[in-house]
Amino acid sequence: MQKIMIIEDDPVIRDELSLLLGNEGYQSLPVDVFTAVPEQVGRAGPDLILLDLGLPGRDGFSLCADIHKLSAAPVIFVTSRDSALDELRALSLGGDDYITKPYNIPVLLARIRAVLRRSGGAADPDTLEWGGLRLNLTKGAASAGGRTAELTRNELKILAYLMGRPGEIVSREDLIDALWDSRIYIDDNTLSVNMTRLRGKLESLGLPGYIKTRRGMGYQL
Amino acid sequence: MTFGAFLSDRLGALVLRTACAAAAAAFLLATGTSPGVLTIVLIAWLFVAAGALAADYFRCRAHLEELEAIMDGLDQKHLFAECAPKPRTAYERRLLALMRRSGRAMIGAVSDAQASQREYREYIESWVHEIKTPMTAAQLLCRGTEAETRRKLSRELAQIGNHVERALFYARTESPEKDFVIRRTTLADIAAQAIGHHRTLLIQSGVRIETEGLDCAVYTDEKWAAFLLGQLLQNAVRYRGASPVLSLSARLLGRQVQLTVSDNGIGIPAHELPRVFDRGFTGSNGRARGGSTGIGLYLCRRLAGFLEIDLRIKSEEGRGTAVLLTFPAGETLSKV
Repeated sequence: MQKIMIIEDDPVIRDELSLLLGNEGYQSLPVDVFTAVPEQVGRAGPDLILLDLGLPGRDGFSLCADIHKLSAAPVIFVTSRDSALDELRALSLGGDDYITKPYNIPVLLARIRAVLRRSGGAADPDTLEWGGLRLNLTKGAASAGGRTAELTRNELKILAYLMGRPGEIVSREDLIDALWDSRIYIDDNTLSVNMTRLRGKLESLGLPGYIKTRRGMGYQL
Repeated sequence: MTFGAFLSDRLGALVLRTACAAAAAAFLLATGTSPGVLTIVLIAWLFVAAGALAADYFRCRAHLEELEAIMDGLDQKHLFAECAPKPRTAYERRLLALMRRSGRAMIGAVSDAQASQREYREYIESWVHEIKTPMTAAQLLCRGTEAETRRKLSRELAQIGNHVERALFYARTESPEKDFVIRRTTLADIAAQAIGHHRTLLIQSGVRIETEGLDCAVYTDEKWAAFLLGQLLQNAVRYRGASPVLSLSARLLGRQVQLTVSDNGIGIPAHELPRVFDRGFTGSNGRARGGSTGIGLYLCRRLAGFLEIDLRIKSEEGRGTAVLLTFPAGETLSKV
């Protein structure tokens, strides 16, 4: 399990972020005493650090420099300052990424995954399995009962999102939100088209009705 | 200064001088000076007086021209008294002393106003940064609520975020020079930033986004341009029609790059178009829907001015609106 250290002085954000990361399958290490932070980091040995630049009494940038002396973990700066100058400064001072408050949660999680992947820590799970279906994320293929179907990027993302939340009702909007890449913007119609194709492929694997439609609410495995 | 105006200033002295000459002439005539001699004396006096007057006029005019040149050359006109040439007479010295007192009072008032404006701006900026912490906390807390409530709350939070951001940029446009960095970036990056920022709003409104040819390099401040674009996206969402489509496309105009942001929304009446960038102008659409502040497009125009982006708007009622942003060619930018 990958460890993410949360250095954030607002208790509500710290607790909620801890919960969120816990639900996402990370071990969160919230810091609630802001003395000797670099030493705490050194002892805990996290795989990633979320560092709030607005800590009381200490400049986040110099803190980052001290942390880097004791830990090689990548750092994502979290800040409410968002000018181009702040960003340049953050990235030139050893941040691996920079995210501004208030953040969109899927975006935050995507950034965390991206930084972890770059830093060479254990990558995302390669395969997902649920209800007799096996989804290979790197190959982009779904297989069941000895048969395999190739999936497109969107189909893969839809299926991965749903398989990550088995039994949960996922609204169309949440799905679109999860599918939105930094450059590709899926709308409702595209989602319908992708969903129809995906169901067709699942049917060919002998799994009709794998994705159930919950009228007015969304989809459910 | 015209010669007429100069003469009228000295009317009293001229009348007095002429009266004295007439009295002297009468006295001389009465005491036996011959009229011939008297005529010569009067003509000579007239020449000398006219010469002195003309010299005085030219000196006066030259002096005024010098002062005007100084004034024209001044960036901050209220510093005039500090830059005026050395006074030549006691009278001028007194006048200048008075002007300086007035000027200093003005300089004091101006710098007080500037300082308080700067403080206010700094306060707004720090306030904006502080408000983002509870907003982030609220957003995280939202996750625990039931889907419909979460959807509505996150939309409201996004709205709060948009208002806050406008306040921040409004404050920044008051003294913009220290805040923006012109760098080479691409329209695709700017668009991704703006669209990403408003993703909750765009997704929940069911807007289809089409992009075309955005891989153009432009020289601008990415954050500012993304904010500007964000205002246009918000407007497109607010004034959308059925099955909204928003298209972002770019083309090259010589060395410049033109970005067109067009929607198929309700459009703007032709007679309101010239005023949409005015501060506080809400228009019939804004009034009919409510929630319009008349600040978004005003800020766009100001930011576009700083970034040297040419901003134009076209619209047809019931068909949609297109905003054209022409980014300057990199090498012509004056503030690189």
